[in-house]
Amino acid sequence: MKTTHHNLNLDARTKIIIMMICGCLVILLDSPSALLICFLASILLVASSFPTLKQIRLLLIFLFFTTWGLIYSQGMFYNTFPRTVLITLVPADFPLIGEWTGGIQIYREGLYHGIIQSLRFNTTLVIGCYIVWTTQPRDLLLALSQLRVPGALAFMVTTALHFIPVIASETAVVLRSQRLRGFRYLRFNLFATVRGFINSFRPILAGNIRHATNLGESVESRGFSPETATQRTSLRTSEMGGLDYSLLALLSLCLIGVIALKVVYFCYANGIYYGSWLRGIYTFTREML
Amino acid sequence: MVSIQIEELSYTYPNRESVTLNGINAQITANDFVLLTGPTGCGKSTLLRTINGLISHSSSGTLTGSVQVNDQNVAEQPLTTTCQQVALLFQNPDDQLFCTFVEDEIAFGLENLGFPPKKIKERVTLALEQVGLSGYETRRVNQLSGGEKQRVALASICAMQPQVLLLDEPTSHLDPRATRDILNIVKQFNTELGITIILATHRVKQVQHLCDRVWLMHEGELCLDLTQSEIFENTKVFRNLGVELPEQEDFAKNTTHSSSYRTQSNDTLLEVQNLYYQYPSSAEPAVKDILFEVPRGEVVAIMGENGSGKTTFLHLIAGLLQPTTGQVTVDGNNIKRLKLHQLAGKIGIVFQNPDLILQAMTVRTEVEFGPKNLKMQSDKLHSLVNDTLTQFKLSDLSEEAPYSLSRGQRQRVAVASTFSLLPDIFLLDEPTTGQDMQHLQHVMNELSNQIRQENKTLIFATHNIELTQKYADRVLLIHEGEMIFDGSPAAALADSQLLEKASLVY
Repeated sequence: MKTTHHNLNLDARTKIIIMMICGCLVILLDSPSALLICFLASILLVASSFPTLKQIRLLLIFLFFTTWGLIYSQGMFYNTFPRTVLITLVPADFPLIGEWTGGIQIYREGLYHGIIQSLRFNTTLVIGCYIVWTTQPRDLLLALSQLRVPGALAFMVTTALHFIPVIASETAVVLRSQRLRGFRYLRFNLFATVRGFINSFRPILAGNIRHATNLGESVESRGFSPETATQRTSLRTSEMGGLDYSLLALLSLCLIGVIALKVVYFCYANGIYYGSWLRGIYTFTREML
Repeated sequence: MVSIQIEELSYTYPNRESVTLNGINAQITANDFVLLTGPTGCGKSTLLRTINGLISHSSSGTLTGSVQVNDQNVAEQPLTTTCQQVALLFQNPDDQLFCTFVEDEIAFGLENLGFPPKKIKERVTLALEQVGLSGYETRRVNQLSGGEKQRVALASICAMQPQVLLLDEPTSHLDPRATRDILNIVKQFNTELGITIILATHRVKQVQHLCDRVWLMHEGELCLDLTQSEIFENTKVFRNLGVELPEQEDFAKNTTHSSSYRTQSNDTLLEVQNLYYQYPSSAEPAVKDILFEVPRGEVVAIMGENGSGKTTFLHLIAGLLQPTTGQVTVDGNNIKRLKLHQLAGKIGIVFQNPDLILQAMTVRTEVEFGPKNLKMQSDKLHSLVNDTLTQFKLSDLSEEAPYSLSRGQRQRVAVASTFSLLPDIFLLDEPTTGQDMQHLQHVMNELSNQIRQENKTLIFATHNIELTQKYADRVLLIHEGEMIFDGSPAAALADSQLLEKASLVY
């Protein structure tokens, strides 16, 4: 029987495998345009789940900070040559900092590299959000078990995701309650600030260990065992359907294709094998992948 | 018919020297309803976890003796077998529910056991019917009330059709109406389906009329095994152990709060004006148009059903949440204009979960934390901390890590560490959760006496009518975020319609 209240079009296993294939693809690809296609595809995937405004806002915040952080840090700390200075933030002859660092500049190649890195990171981030937002914890646990992920690890991942909202709300309460006890997190004494944050993580961590222990006992008391997870039945149909297989076949083909093209190009670039009939492939791989 | 045989059962948790269960011998015949009680930390929860096999399969401590269910040692059979005979319901529904939808939650256990989907569907429907939640299949678990969540948790284990049902403080997070509903369902399981029940609780009076037998535990030992009629002959033992007394030895009646005790003051300390608060993710305000004043020296109880807005209200008074509209003023100062650290010493709060406060390595440093932040002089600080530790019976534990203590002790540490800030307004959220009567009375006596002597204010949120009767000068009843009553406890408790509306009738 199939219930209609779950807005899930893909099986949880499909989602996890998509994440893994895309993770491999973004590592193999170097071209910004190919990575942009991957990123846009991941955005399409999220859009297909009709995210709420809150989720969209959260995703935009994540994307903004990761993109800005990666591009800015790569632009500034790029240390491979050749590199072209675009902006000088601190001249080399600036007292102390300039002399000590040899000057702080933003490099064009660094920005380019930062864009590539942020596209890689953001693609997996977006797919991760899609999985978390569209998959029930129990489906995720089952899928991980079926994919032969060790039971303890599968349960850890699932409970971690399950408790994200709890952790967020408890963190806010803990930090506020410490301030209500007169503690100031932001002050000139950096050591005290750091110590305050570390201390505040103690109740959050302890609380979450307790929650996770209780949840673990609850599911064990209801017959859940990583060893027998594959023998579970399911009230709802969770078999992989045509869409799952088609999508996985397409992505697998893409991955195999990219690997093959990269190997061919690697052989050419390293003088291992050259075939004039492959010139088109060399050009495509260099320009597009 | 199932029977349970417990023989010479002892258990020591890993890295602990003292035994948690100590040579327990007991026998339960089918269809018994056992009330298991005892002071906090006496081993009730551990005993239940040993009976359903969790301890023997999942804990690395030292277990000796045996628990036999239907002549089968639970340590020697897989948990998947035991869970079909013995089911365990936990204290906090939020910690045991795993799925997004009610139907999936109830089906979870059956799916683990490999039942065919058709059978699962039948059992889910039946279990929901048994707990009075028919038609809730497609509801989201996180949108249910506390009582409904606990009923879903109960349905999720009863769908496996166990012969023994173990319940670990199942009503400690629930309001009286939800408590009554859960206990009625449990009794129905016992009488109509013949399920054997062992229910662990501090609230003896809630369960005493339902049970056949009472087990009283103390320091890991089963010190009394009584029939229902025998418990009234042994009230002295209950009293000595600080356990809630059965029936007529009424805690509230013995210690009824006298009106001459009250401090009348015209000096307004706290003023709440047209307070509204709506959570960003919610369609309805959690607190609606609350207006009241509290003079110095008054002890106020806030009562209402689960989810009525009591905790949100306390958080608004403490400045932990900013009102959507309206304002809270303390001594004439709008707290919105003050930073949280500037409220230290004016307002203090202890949450229902005391662990959210505890952050230090020792009990002493925990109690010192607040006064040190307020730059108290060292000699004054030293004497204040020592006095506070003595007052809350924590002197012997002063060098212990707060997290290594029992729940009752942790709550006392949380209260003491807020108390040491000497706040004008002390806020206490549901102090009864997981507490035995002895600890609860001690904490409440110390707090209310000190508050009255020093002309301060105590505001506590609770479901416990007796606590309100004993300690409060005034009670605010909240229903769906609105204040529906503000007056004396006697007037509130005399109005049965009002109590029914606020879900405070057992």
